[in-house]
Formats: sequence, structure tokens, C-alpha cells
Amino acid sequence: MKVDLLIIGAGAAGLSAALGAWEAGCRSILIADRRSHPGGILEQCIHHGFGADLTGPEYAAMLFSQIQKTGAELRMETEVLSISPSREAVLSSGAGLERVRFSHLILAAGCRERPLGALNITGTRPDGVCTAGQAQEMMNLHDRDPGERILILGSGDLGMIVARRCVLRGKQVIAILEQAERCTGLAKNYHSCVEAHSIPLWTRTTVTELHGEPRLTGVTVRELDSGAERFVPCDTLLLATGLIPEQTLVSNLGTPPWLHLVGNCNRVHDLVDSAAHEARIIGSEIIKKA
Amino acid sequence: MKRLDVIVIGGGLLGCFTARNLCRWDLTVALLEAREDVCTGISRANTAVVYPGYDHKPGTLKAELTLRANRAFGMLCADLDVPFSRCGSLMVACGEQGEAVLRKKLRNGLESGVPELRLLKRAELLELEPELTPEVTLGLFSPNAGTVNPWALGIAAMENAVQNGAEFCANTPVTAIRETEGGYLVETEGETFFTRAIVNCAGLQSVAVQELVYPSPVRLRITAGDYLILDPLTAHAPKHIVQFEPERGKGLTAVPTVEGNLLLGPSERAGSDFGTDRDGLDFVRALTRKVLPKVDLDDTIRTFAALRPNPERPDGSSIKSFVIDRPAERFWSFLGVKTPGLTCADELGLYVARQTAEALNAKENPAFQPVRKGIPKTHALDFAARQGLIAEDPEYGNVVCFCEDVTLAEIRAAIRAGANTVDGVKRRVGATMGRCQGSRCRLIIEELLREEGVYEG
Repeated sequence: MKVDLLIIGAGAAGLSAALGAWEAGCRSILIADRRSHPGGILEQCIHHGFGADLTGPEYAAMLFSQIQKTGAELRMETEVLSISPSREAVLSSGAGLERVRFSHLILAAGCRERPLGALNITGTRPDGVCTAGQAQEMMNLHDRDPGERILILGSGDLGMIVARRCVLRGKQVIAILEQAERCTGLAKNYHSCVEAHSIPLWTRTTVTELHGEPRLTGVTVRELDSGAERFVPCDTLLLATGLIPEQTLVSNLGTPPWLHLVGNCNRVHDLVDSAAHEARIIGSEIIKKA
Repeated sequence: MKRLDVIVIGGGLLGCFTARNLCRWDLTVALLEAREDVCTGISRANTAVVYPGYDHKPGTLKAELTLRANRAFGMLCADLDVPFSRCGSLMVACGEQGEAVLRKKLRNGLESGVPELRLLKRAELLELEPELTPEVTLGLFSPNAGTVNPWALGIAAMENAVQNGAEFCANTPVTAIRETEGGYLVETEGETFFTRAIVNCAGLQSVAVQELVYPSPVRLRITAGDYLILDPLTAHAPKHIVQFEPERGKGLTAVPTVEGNLLLGPSERAGSDFGTDRDGLDFVRALTRKVLPKVDLDDTIRTFAALRPNPERPDGSSIKSFVIDRPAERFWSFLGVKTPGLTCADELGLYVARQTAEALNAKENPAFQPVRKGIPKTHALDFAARQGLIAEDPEYGNVVCFCEDVTLAEIRAAIRAGANTVDGVKRRVGATMGRCQGSRCRLIIEELLREEGVYEG
């Protein structure tokens, strides 16, 4: 197969890039995504605040309905295994492997979360420790709880939104821990998540050690200014410690002129609207310049 | 009551390989493991090195078995369908004291018959391994050293034993052993077994197991060590195993693993659980900066700790040789086998299996099948082979673990082969081992464990 534009990722950025390219006149677009439904991470973001105060799935549905009016081809449950410098991608799905040649490639693969192993936290490796995004997926897509008595490390937007979700599901959020002097996320999330639900925010603190096996029984919390450490009992630690743009697929390619990164795999955006807007412009410009 | 010829207690590497080798004779064998899976104790965490054999005193069992095991390792891994990388090792020194150690190891190695060992001067060393610190002065190069994943090896040996008729019993801790007419009664939390002979491979618990029925000539001092694992995409990882022994104290081993990661470690400290330690990790980081200065430790994706049993005499002196005790005619104990236990697992298993077979007057088993086929590793296949697998089963087209490129079919196969936790799946097919550490596939694997009836609810 040969296409003018191959887009990897059918989240907000990938779909928006496709819309931009279609509007600019591109008539040969293939979007590949590993998930079963388009929308990417929006699917698990069931809170309001996307676009004109939509939920994540509503925002995704809006973009999807626009894509359906174009001739862009969408392939779900399709993993891109590799991309060669000679502009060929290998796609894998239940139907088999396929080589796809392309003129331009847009990578819209989002980001991944920084895992426990990358943090300087010692101790055991018990159950009950996961990333905030994983907890969000667990609660919002699988209707399961990550635990009962929860600490959250990191006060970015994801940490705060997941903290609120835990509270709304009747769980005890003992505190959100933040190394900086104040909350690092958006003010609107601070007000609607932390303040509105009276979730304690412990600034200038971090977690240094995990305890328990097989399940977490507590963590050592350190106050960064005094150096004082104390044991805080909990059965769950959620890590909201940073998002890393997912560029693995193109890590060995350098920066060829046909490769374009959009959305959170380019840089982490605070708001989906800005990621989508930027992607739409890039999608359009690639085609206009070509 | 179930009657057996041999019960192997403990499903670590030694237990799995002892069971496998017992199957070479006409014996009924059961492998009893206290925990939910094999390789969850000492074998779950170590340096993953297949040593060439120059570390041990010539003429000792350790030197002999290591040398033989190293030579046979490629064939063993081919038989068991386990990836093995004979990447070679460089033991390096930065100064005269270290150089003296290398020369002694070279003499040891030559006397033991370790092939192709040679000393390399600084320029040759840096040419062979440009990532080394320019401060190196001398290196001992052994092209025959290699690396293997210890779980992959243990699981393969256990599966090969089962395929040859051995029975594997997980979640079966031994609570009592009693001598009886013609053998032993082995009580577990569930049933009681009669067995004619016992091989105790209980690792950290080996002394405790022996003391259920006999006194132990040694005791175990447990020490811990910390390791780091780096992302396969990290720049400046060495191509060879790099070992460094400083003038004083414990050294560092850096291993380019078969999965493509860089493994760094271990520290050595007191400790009795698998929790990591800040000072221990800092020690490994500091030595890495010294020996492999260009490695970016921010590429760490996981840290873990290992436990080691150090056998000691009652007076507290340490024992360097393998302790294989035989307190009774039909009872063997591996008491505190550590490095090079991974290298020698099959040889040690065969060593005791042969004695067991002699003691029981067992005939050879002509039907023994040494070849075991593992779950296909989709990511290692070329386009056509991978396409062929998907044609047979579409789930081979569905990638679940993106970091390590592991498909739904492989994960399902791992569960059907006995994985009963996410860790069990990890040990069988590598899912969750990558740079996101399972943050994107763990839930899917848990759903599959439910779908396959392993997890409830």
C-alpha cells in the first residue's frame, strides 16, 4: 500500500492533523491506532473541560464525526511495528502484517508516564503502586478501584484529576504530594479538584521508600526542607510524576524532512484544544508545502 | 498417598534443572515449590552472567563445572529454546593492584583450561569497548562469557521436566519431612507424599528444609545487592559484559542483556528482603560513572534487589565451594549455592541426579527428550515468519506490550503455560519489562488473567 500521509495515532492530535491535511487537499490519508476506538487518551478522560466544556469521549466523538465526513482511512487495533528511513512502515493487526509506503509521516503517539523505576524511590516493589493514568484507565474504563487509602505523588493536572476521581468513587485520598512549593497544574483544576474536595496538598514533600509485600502498607514521606522523614500508612500510591513524549518509534530516524511530530508526542500540552489546534495547522501546512 | 521416586524441593534454577536431569532416568519426580511460580527467590534476581570459569581455584568442582557449563551453554539454550548471547566479557583494572588481580585470574583460567583468555592493554581495550573509561590500564578478555535471562532458563527447564513426566506443584510449601521405611514422608500444606529420595534445592530456605529432618553442617548468611536496568535505547551501553574490581571492596558488573537493556550492579550489603536500598543504588551509580562514564543513568527504567545465601561454617568462616550435602543415603541438599549457580545449574542438576539415580538403581530413560519449544517470540521473527503466525492465529497480530513488542497470543500462551500473575506473564514472554514498566499493558494482562479463569472477579 502507498499513501501520501500516514498518521500514527487517532487521538486528538492525530485526528486533528488528518482534518487539517484533508482540508488542505490531501486525498490519501491513512490513520493507524493500536486501540479499538479512536480518541486516544480522551477515552478515559470522562471529566468535563475539553473544548466547549465537553467530556473527553464527547470531544473525541466530535472529532471522529468530522473525520467520517472525510475520505481519510482509519485503521484501529493496528500497531505500527517499525518505520524505515526509506519511508516504509510495517503495520500489524489481526489481519496480518502490511507494508505501507508513505510520502509524509505524522507521529501523534501521545506520551507515556514516567514509571516507578525511573524515580529515586527505594524499598519493595509491592502491588498497589501504579501511574495516575493507569488508575484513571482502571476506574473509568474498567470500573475498578486502584485501592482504598491512596497517596498521589505529583500535583500536575493528571494527579489532581485522578485524586478527585478517587474521592468521587468513595476512596480516601490521604494527600497529594508535591516537591515544588505549590501545585504544578492549572489553577482551574486546583480549584475544582483539590479545593472543592478538600484534598490535602503536601508541598515540598516526596516519597522516598515503599513498604509492604505483596501489597503496599505504607510509604516513607520526606519533607524536603527539614529532611524529616515519617511513615504514612496507605495501600495505594499513584505516580503522577511526569509525561514523556512517546517518540520511541522514530528514535533512530533523526529528523528527516518527511517526519512530523504533533500533539503530546511533540511536547506535552496543558490543554487538548491547543494540541488539536497545533496538529491541525501542521497537518495543513505539510500538504500546502508539498 | 502419592508415591514418588524423587521429590525436589524448591523451584529455583537448581530445582528446575535437578528435576529436568532426573528425568534422564526412569524415575517418578515431583518438584515442590512453596510459592506461586518457579524462580521467585534467589533466581528471580541476579547478574545474568554465564561465567567462563577463571574465577575459581583450578581443580575445584566449581572451576570444573563452570568450564564445562560454559562450553555447553549454547547447546543447552538451543535445546531449551532460550535466548543466549555469548557477548564476551572484559574484566578491567585501573591501576597496579587491579592488574595483579587480572593476572592471577588469567593464571587460574589458563590452568583450568579456560579457552581464548587474554590480557588487553589500554589501547586494545578501548578499541574493543570504546565506552570504557580512558583510565583503564589492563583488561582480561574472555570471548566465551555470555548472558542469559535466568527466569527464561528456569522456566524452560521446568517445562522440559514436565514434558518428560515430572510433576510441578506450585503453592506447595513443605511443612515436615519424616524418615520412613524405604524413604521419606513429605508433608505439605495440602497432601503428604511418600518419596524414596529427596533433593533439597530450597535456596534461601535450604538450611531450614534440611533441618526439618537432619542437622545442617552450615548456616546461611543472607546478603542483598542492588541493581539498575536501563532503557535499551540508552546511548553508550557497552557491547561486552564489563566487570570492574576496584582496589578495595566490591566491584561492578555491566551486562548488555539478551533483551537489549543494560544491567548494572550489584552492590553488596546486609538485607533479607527484595527491597532496594538507597546507599546500595548510589554505590552502583558511582561505580558506573567511574567505569562507563558516558552512560546516562537517567535512562534507568527499573531498580531491583537480589538476595544471596552465603554458606558459613559454625565458626562463622565462609565457604567458597558449592555445598552439596548428603546427610543420608537418599537425601541431597544444595546449601546456599550462589554465583556461579546460574552458569552451573544444569551441570549441578545432572551431578546430583546421577548420584540419585545410582542410589535408587534407576535405569536410563531412553525416551528423555532434551528439546523444549518455547512460546514463539514474535518480535524476534522476520516479516514472513511473523505473517505466518498471524495467519495461524490473528492474536499474533495484536500487540499488547508496545515497549517490548509482545502480542496477545504470546500472553495468552504464557497464561496457559502456567503464568498465574502479571509477573508470571512477564517472566515467560517479557511483557511489562520495557520502558513504561507495564503502565500501558498491565490492565490488559489482568483482564486476560480473568478471561482465562486465573484471576477471580
